[in-house]
Amino acid sequence: MHLKYKMIVPLVLVLSAIMLYPLAFSGWLSFQDYRLTRIDEVHPVGLENYRFVATDPAFLNAMRNTLTFVFGAVTLELILGLSLALLVQRLRIMRGFVRSILLAPMFITPIAVGLMFRFLLSSEIGVVSHYLGLLGLSVDWFGPQMALLTIILIDVWQWTPFMLLMFLAGLEALPKAPFEAARVDGAGPWLTFSRITLPMLMPVIVVALIIRALDAFKVFEYVFATTRGGPGDQTVTIMYFIYQTGFRFFRMGEAAAAAVMLIAVILVLVVALVKFSKIDRSKG
Amino acid sequence: MFDYPNLGARVAATIAIILALFLVLFPFVWVFLESIKPPELGARPDVWVFTPSWANWQEVAFESDVPLNIANSFFVAAVTVLISLLCGAPAAYAFSRFRGFSGARYGILGAEMMPPAILILPFFLLLYHLQLIDSRIGVIAAHLTFVLPVVTWFLIGFFDEVPKDLESQAMIDGFTRFQAFYLVILPAVRPGLAAAAVFGFVLSWNDLFYALLLTGSESRTLPVAIAGFWTFRGIEMGKMAVAILIAIIPVLILSHSIQKHLIRGIGGGAVKY
Amino acid sequence: MAFVGLEGLSKAFQGVEVLDSIDLDIERGDFTVLLGPSGCGKSTTLRLIAGLDSVSRGRITIDGRDVTALEPRLRDIAMVFQNYALYPTMTVEQNMGFGLKAQKLPTETIQSKVGEAAELLGLTDFLDRRPGALSGGQQQRVAIGRAIVREPKLFLFDEPLSNLDAKLRAGMREEIKHLHQRLDATTIYVTHDQEEAMTMADRIVIMNGGQIEQIGTPEDIYFRPATRMVASFIGSPEMNIFAGTMTDNGIDTGLGILTKGPGAVGTKLQVGIRPDDLQLVTEDKKLPEGPTIDCRIGLVELLGPRAILHLRAPDETELTAVVSYEDLKAASGETARFLIPSSALHIFDDATGERL
Ligand SMILES: Nc1ncnc2c1ncn2[C@@H]1O[C@H](COP(=O)(O)OP(=O)(O)OP(=O)(O)O)[C@@H](O)[C@H]1O
Ligand SMILES: [Mg+2]
Repeated sequence: MHLKYKMIVPLVLVLSAIMLYPLAFSGWLSFQDYRLTRIDEVHPVGLENYRFVATDPAFLNAMRNTLTFVFGAVTLELILGLSLALLVQRLRIMRGFVRSILLAPMFITPIAVGLMFRFLLSSEIGVVSHYLGLLGLSVDWFGPQMALLTIILIDVWQWTPFMLLMFLAGLEALPKAPFEAARVDGAGPWLTFSRITLPMLMPVIVVALIIRALDAFKVFEYVFATTRGGPGDQTVTIMYFIYQTGFRFFRMGEAAAAAVMLIAVILVLVVALVKFSKIDRSKG
Repeated sequence: MFDYPNLGARVAATIAIILALFLVLFPFVWVFLESIKPPELGARPDVWVFTPSWANWQEVAFESDVPLNIANSFFVAAVTVLISLLCGAPAAYAFSRFRGFSGARYGILGAEMMPPAILILPFFLLLYHLQLIDSRIGVIAAHLTFVLPVVTWFLIGFFDEVPKDLESQAMIDGFTRFQAFYLVILPAVRPGLAAAAVFGFVLSWNDLFYALLLTGSESRTLPVAIAGFWTFRGIEMGKMAVAILIAIIPVLILSHSIQKHLIRGIGGGAVKY
Repeated sequence: MAFVGLEGLSKAFQGVEVLDSIDLDIERGDFTVLLGPSGCGKSTTLRLIAGLDSVSRGRITIDGRDVTALEPRLRDIAMVFQNYALYPTMTVEQNMGFGLKAQKLPTETIQSKVGEAAELLGLTDFLDRRPGALSGGQQQRVAIGRAIVREPKLFLFDEPLSNLDAKLRAGMREEIKHLHQRLDATTIYVTHDQEEAMTMADRIVIMNGGQIEQIGTPEDIYFRPATRMVASFIGSPEMNIFAGTMTDNGIDTGLGILTKGPGAVGTKLQVGIRPDDLQLVTEDKKLPEGPTIDCRIGLVELLGPRAILHLRAPDETELTAVVSYEDLKAASGETARFLIPSSALHIFDDATGERL
């Protein structure tokens, strides 16, 4: 066997065991009536699980919540991350210090982030609510109007730093010369940004967007830490839905079908994003 | 602070940065104060000045399972990273250097992006049948599903940057290709290995989802324990704050050390800076 | 009044002085070349004139206006950078029109001006391409095109040809010179290539260590170098320079007593002679006046009809000479006789390095 195959053997073996096999198992599971509560009565049901999930209002609701969440969070993170990167890049003093602090949130465990905000924003004991109250503002952060938005904002707090990291590196790597040429050419800040900075940064933006969007689909911890899906089912995301279906109601078959459909949705979105941004060309 | 030509822009930018710093730092400061608040002040949002009390820290250290949780989290993360490096490094080298693996990069990326939702069900059922729920082995296996691809992806990027002439030279000097890999190339990417290891460690250390469903009282990791302070016995804010600090401080220190390399790793050779 | 004036211009980076009180006047329409060894401050000077870096001390005027504190865009200049600095995401047309777009000119005007410049530079067929799809020479033309469409008062070039191969470089040199005559625009051109400077410049400014050594026409610079540094920097192979002392009989050097020179007896001097001026003594040739020395021939580098000889004088001084290969009868290792024409000597004060 050629060395190149020998070198990938360990990886292939481990990944097959922990990914391929479970994937296949999940696929099989999605065609079974598999309930943990009736483990002796497992039997194949064909497409029944898919039919059930696809028409289940709870699933559709979770899908809608997730898409809203992904779109809202990633858009805000993109805008904030890019603005912050442009600001930090122009810092004359303490740049390394400011950058280190602004990046900190992305490294800490999401459950801690969720819980910190759960209590900071709590309407009874929350510091934020307390002082907003003194200003005469009463925001019910986890109430029916706000809950999903609040979870989006928590995600923005934790993951804008990721965008910042990507864009700062991207900006630093841009050649200096075109910007000097633009100064001599008489371009103002807006023209320079829209015609030179932004187009040159585009490949980095696309990659950052894709990574963040895919990651945002997996949102679970914030919901688990704050609302547990409530009020009603307003903040049930797909991951939370699968968690409930599989581990609260023990309906493994339906949970598997929902997971397969999640992957399908993600794939469609990724392909669309890649097509849209023509990532292949920009990688050149 | 800024070098914008006009004063208005400088002032606005300074305010924006200070606001951002405040928004980022405030939760950290709050959680720290919460951890040293005397327990009887518990949930008072309006008290900022008090005599610090180490009661919460002492309780967490001596009367809770948190030390065990820390040990579990550390063990799981360390073993996961070790296996990931052992399997990932040679494979990443092969993907970076040999022909015929162009699809493999996307495979690794795909694995990295795989939602845990689809893997957790089989993992749970299998471990359940093997009676390995509440074992650290189960969590390690689950964490490998995302740490191994990430580490491999990181290393591909780092190997791509090592000039090919380096191993050619080693081979001319009389080493086999594999010797060239571990005697010459691996040392050359040592910063990359360190960055990948730290990043993998952080990912494993931070995971809640798998650990929540696959561990029990013996194998519980720190994130699950943190969540537990709210679920059981009402809210134990002070102790939760201590546990949160214990979970985030080491990670902040570790990741600070690899900030420089992180970006190259995440890009994995897909983004040319 | 001078068109571009630098008065006491100084620049320090983090406290390190890299330009030390430069004074320079440039006349309207002149093609001025800044020439000097690497790191002497040429680019810095140009960037200060462009307004890309801020001035530490001193004043810059362009066309009678003090521009020292003005943004580059308010100085009415155009600049061509060493690595072209094209906008990678724009087409050639957009690249060339960008400066006009910044001035908010109507689209038709921009198009016609860009079209004209493209015609002039032979870029018409490439207008829709991006810089990445152009050769080095074409990219260079785009950079020049971008400068000329703006019709600025002043053109600045920073080593624009240094990334091109030798052949292209010669071609572009002509082209830039041609453009200059046609547009009659004042130009400041930075290079470290003396051939480029010699062939293109109306006036050359020799810089060294953040200061100006000499300002003059190419002839001045070559035939009457003002300092020892200019003498050894200009000309290839490098001028032979050796130490000497003024005596009653002439200059006493290791090569013997040379011609009477200027300066008081006892003055320490540096004496230079260009390799081309050392004459190989042959029977049939009529020779100018001067002392002769016998040198051992070392390496012989053949340049075609001429050859560079590396010589060792009786006192072990190393010299170079350029001679006609035809005249050369001796081979490497043998000895030949050379004449040092008194009229060709360059004499500098040893202490100040200034020409005497
Ligand atoms: N941004 C900077 N920060 C610090 N020092 C600088 C900076 N730019 C230039 N220098 C220093 O100033 C001196 C002059 O540099 P400059 O670029 O003007 O040289 P140059 O004559 O153009 O040389 P070259 O022929 O190599 O381009 C150099 O010693 C350089 O190291
Ligand atoms: Mg220069």
